[in-house]
Amino acid sequence: MERITFALDGKKLTVAKGTTILEAARAEGIFIPTFCHNEKLKPFASCFVCVVEIAGRAGLVPSCSTMAAEGMTVVTDSERIRKARRTCVELLLSDHEGDCLGPCMTTCPAGIDIPGFVKHLAEGNDRAALELIKRNMPLPAVLGRICTRPCEGECRRKLVEEPIAICQLHRFAADRVSASGVEYIPRKAPSSGKRVAVVGAGPAGLSAAYYLHLLGHRCTVFDMHEKAGGMTRYGIPSYRLPREVIEREVAVIKELGAEFRFNTRLGVDITLDRLCADFDAVFLGLGAQLAKPMSIRGEETEGVLSGIGFLGASSRDESLKIGRRVMVVGGGNTAVDAARTALRLGAGEVSILYRRTRAEMPAWEEEIHAAEKEGVRLDILAAPVAIDQGPDGFLHVTCIEMELGEPDASGRRRPIPKPGSEHLRVVDNVIAAIGQDVDASDCSGLRLTKWQTIDADLHRGTTNIDKIFAGGDCVSGADIAVTAVAAGRRAAVSIDQYLRGEKVTGEPVLYNHTMGRITEVDSRVAEGFDKVPRAAMPEREVEERIRGFAEVETGFSEAAVRQEAARCMECGCRDVNECRLRSYATEFHADQFHYRGLKRVYERDDSHAEVVYDAHKCIQCGNCVRLSEEILGTSAVGFTGRGISARVRPAMGRPLAEVDGKGIDQLVENCPVGALIRKDDRVAALEPEFKRPEPPHPE
Amino acid sequence: MSEMRKTIVVGMSSCNIAAGAEKVYGIIREKMADGLDVNLSITGCLGLCFCEPQVRVIDEDGSEHLYVDVTPERITGIIDEHLKGGRPIAAWASDLNQGAMVKLLGKQRRIVLANCGRINPERIDDYLAQGGYQALERVLRENRPAAVIDEVLASGLRGRGGGGFSTGLKWRFAYNNKADKKFVICNADEGDPGAFMDRTVLESDPHAVLEGMAIGAFATGADEAYIYCRAEYPLAVKRLDLAIAQARERGLLGKSILGTPFSFDIHVKEGAGAFVCGEETALMASIEGRRGMPRIRPPFPAEAGLLGKPTTINNVETWANIPWIIRHGAADFAAQGTEKSKGSKVFALAGKIKRGGLVEVPMGITLDEIIHDIGGGTGSKRQVKAVQMGGPSGGCVPRQLFDTRIDYDEVVKTGAIMGSGGMVVMDETTCMVDVARYFLNFTQLESCGKCTFCRIGTTRMLEILTRICHGRGKPEDIPMLEDLADQIKHTSLCGLGQTAPNPVLTTLRYFRDEYEEHIHEKRCRAGKCRDLCSFEITDRCVGCTLCARNCPVNCIAGASKELHVIDQNRCIRCGVCRDVCPFDAVAVR
Repeated sequence: MERITFALDGKKLTVAKGTTILEAARAEGIFIPTFCHNEKLKPFASCFVCVVEIAGRAGLVPSCSTMAAEGMTVVTDSERIRKARRTCVELLLSDHEGDCLGPCMTTCPAGIDIPGFVKHLAEGNDRAALELIKRNMPLPAVLGRICTRPCEGECRRKLVEEPIAICQLHRFAADRVSASGVEYIPRKAPSSGKRVAVVGAGPAGLSAAYYLHLLGHRCTVFDMHEKAGGMTRYGIPSYRLPREVIEREVAVIKELGAEFRFNTRLGVDITLDRLCADFDAVFLGLGAQLAKPMSIRGEETEGVLSGIGFLGASSRDESLKIGRRVMVVGGGNTAVDAARTALRLGAGEVSILYRRTRAEMPAWEEEIHAAEKEGVRLDILAAPVAIDQGPDGFLHVTCIEMELGEPDASGRRRPIPKPGSEHLRVVDNVIAAIGQDVDASDCSGLRLTKWQTIDADLHRGTTNIDKIFAGGDCVSGADIAVTAVAAGRRAAVSIDQYLRGEKVTGEPVLYNHTMGRITEVDSRVAEGFDKVPRAAMPEREVEERIRGFAEVETGFSEAAVRQEAARCMECGCRDVNECRLRSYATEFHADQFHYRGLKRVYERDDSHAEVVYDAHKCIQCGNCVRLSEEILGTSAVGFTGRGISARVRPAMGRPLAEVDGKGIDQLVENCPVGALIRKDDRVAALEPEFKRPEPPHPE
Repeated sequence: MSEMRKTIVVGMSSCNIAAGAEKVYGIIREKMADGLDVNLSITGCLGLCFCEPQVRVIDEDGSEHLYVDVTPERITGIIDEHLKGGRPIAAWASDLNQGAMVKLLGKQRRIVLANCGRINPERIDDYLAQGGYQALERVLRENRPAAVIDEVLASGLRGRGGGGFSTGLKWRFAYNNKADKKFVICNADEGDPGAFMDRTVLESDPHAVLEGMAIGAFATGADEAYIYCRAEYPLAVKRLDLAIAQARERGLLGKSILGTPFSFDIHVKEGAGAFVCGEETALMASIEGRRGMPRIRPPFPAEAGLLGKPTTINNVETWANIPWIIRHGAADFAAQGTEKSKGSKVFALAGKIKRGGLVEVPMGITLDEIIHDIGGGTGSKRQVKAVQMGGPSGGCVPRQLFDTRIDYDEVVKTGAIMGSGGMVVMDETTCMVDVARYFLNFTQLESCGKCTFCRIGTTRMLEILTRICHGRGKPEDIPMLEDLADQIKHTSLCGLGQTAPNPVLTTLRYFRDEYEEHIHEKRCRAGKCRDLCSFEITDRCVGCTLCARNCPVNCIAGASKELHVIDQNRCIRCGVCRDVCPFDAVAVR
């Protein structure tokens, strides 16, 4: 056989005449991406992601269908080539409709594989569901009760009727496994012998400790309080989150080997320098513990409490005394929690004073509703301006009426005081719950932001000091628990990299394509689903619940869970871990929105018994068309249309079920994206085991 | 034909017919049925498309009179006065030896168009009378295929479809590839907007193409051929079919041509109208019955073409040059033109041009001579702004570069391409952003959809251009256009994708200020982009009322001999007022 010699990336190669550049490169172990190339088929050259440079040629050439020639000089990687490949991928993305992952999953700060665990629940596999949840989030029983559920806001089921009760489903999975008596204790990596100090036993610290143990490190968790849980214990009343639930999930972390030292305050009992000296790394999950002051006259008067201080005190002593008339100032969850707690401690008249309207209240709607049901009065468009100790011994609060002006930076309409509307209200206690600040004053040497939060990388958790990492509210400012849990996990990955002497890149970020927010999504995705109402969470009666701190929400029955889980539309692509478009998009740091324009409309053909064709995901590589023509001899699918409207369609415009289906599995197998998938493929984005993430490598 | 009778020849090409030639022809037939004693014949297009229909009257003594713009009324007059009365009507005739016609024809050099509008394309004898098929006869008699190729090579003929590759070399490649079967193909899938060279040649002189193909087949060793012609050219297909049948009858096609061992036949394959099928690999796929999608080269058609056999593909104009070159010799052909571009080139003049039609000029002539001397400029008070050469694959050459010579390599330097010969002339009322948008819209719709960069990249470019034309352009749009254009040019499989960005690149190169005005000032100086302009009547208005009478929405008020005013709220910015105003009193704001 005739042989030719050419140069590939500076190396002289001798190959058989007729060898393509791609074949030669692959034989040398050189990575060249490709969508349309298929070893079984004749070269086609449609995708152009495999382009390379040939000396002396102005354009880039597709390596899949260009033969190596005598004396040719080929370069397979250069800035120009990478740019062209990235452009190719970004152009394809701009005409690709679909979600790599369910929108619930991408909205969840912790990235829980929601469609995956919900599917397990629908099938009755509670333990499998829990394992998958804990892959990303170690506190499902806790968060299952208190999370503000951003995931549900983006649930596509809303296009049919109501979102899936995602949060309460993972509560069920966790409660169910605990009730079985055998907790799920995940497998740990072999011990690294390294020790990490975790400061703060709140969601961030607990999460960091959990995953650090799974990665083979040992943690000592320090906390200034008496018990673990942080804000979930001292900022959330037990009628929402029973304390034994926290203990249960902390117990798993102890079981993994974490040591807890309570009543130990940073800056008082231990110093950062000491920790740095004694441990191999430090994670700071200090939280946002400081009540924001109202900054009005008389704030220091006796009987004026902070929301966070009040909830902390009542958490320690559920027989705490409170006055008859209680005014809570603020509109967030802490304000609502404080108001409902005051009721339970015996207050007769509880009101929430808020300067905007109910619609602007940041507290969770369900909680506001529950508070109102229990008798809390909302006093909107009002704010305190001064507090005096009245001669009658009560607090005389001067309030002013407000009206809404133009939207401010947060997008909410700015409250403006109405001149001359001052009036007096007489109460026993004022509880100021207008937010929390971070107190990082004991972290000498650590760089802080202008808001006095720790200046740490939000993704990696790295700070200005190599061995110190931070995450949660002390970095982001007061935020929801699940965000802190996610920060703890991500920091654990970074700490692991640091402890192993690797470059600290943090958790790998994979490309994720999205169809957009719920308001932007093509309503056709909801076609074919029958309306099934969302399961309602059973609650204790109002009379019963305001008499004490018994849990208000009593949990789903098993039957309700199976039915609720079965409502899931299983969004997200079944091909998510095999998809080459996603893999290359990650590799080339592609941006879905770099080239914006009209994209394909959602178009699903599910007529076939075993296979679904999503034309909106097709990238026109032609693999299926050529396979059916050249190998199967079926001509089951072909190209139609021209330009941007060109499509791959079943023969003669018929439904997929009506074409010659011989060998259709081969078409599915050879589709580089998720346009052709088997119906029995599971929605499974993640493996349940938490492992050291390998950097993604295409193919 | 009797020498004692007058002969009347009616131009019956698509352009003549569109202008009303069939009615004229019908009237003559009626009169003949009523006893008018003349010889009636038809011919193709003379190239003077701006003044059709045309009728040529040949008197008994052989003197010719060319009547132009022949309406049904005029033909009746011509019949009565000239045919019956023997008094030619000078006012309706075009004197080819006077004024503009001298400029128009004097600068032309007709090889391909020599017979067009002169002979009857439906009669092989007319072609034979002009020396037709003598070239074929000679090469068959001499029986030296390699010598034929040498002759073509020596002529310097380059592909007239736009690529400009040496025809002789192409033939030699096919000749050198030994195979049991070879093909030749005539690419008649003329698809550029504004181009009609091939159509005219096929309708007006089909045998020249057949003869050229037969010579090419003999030289390269092929015995079978296809003419891939657009189905939108029904008259061309009809005349080709007729010509092939007549040639077969005369033994000029088929088995043992002219008694030699050479056998050769031609099939006409009608294309369904996909622009991309003009690309040779897509064209062959289409003939084979597959979807017209280009494939990568190599292998080139000369090596593995139609059905995998060595194939020589040339376009209509290239083939039509061949008989002339063989008859007159390579030296005569190469005597005209520039160093690297020999012979003549046919162009279709269209757009804002006074004398639109087909012209055949010697290589080396300047653009200015074609547009102003031959074409007569815009024919209005407005100046020519640019000319789009090479259709959607070409580029806009601005007026300041009109001293550019017609030469493959010189034209490429401007950013345009020679192309197949379309020339769309634009004046100041043409918006260059809109022009780029128009051509990109065309290529996008005609992309076969195979390659990522062409399929999606041109769409994204088109969306940006559309946005700019609608006043929603952003400053980052220009760099985005340039980046995409550059990448599409260098990362596409076939010529369609590789050249699709050319109209954008050339307009950005020469008319960048217009893009910037659209984006930054939200202004379209040409008054073309409706969202970005308004029209106002200036004090040059004399109150002629022409604009008010032509306004489609009746939004112009004003009494006779008084200044007129446009109601801006009702105006739809169509620009008709500006177009009709004889006093240039309508201004774009």
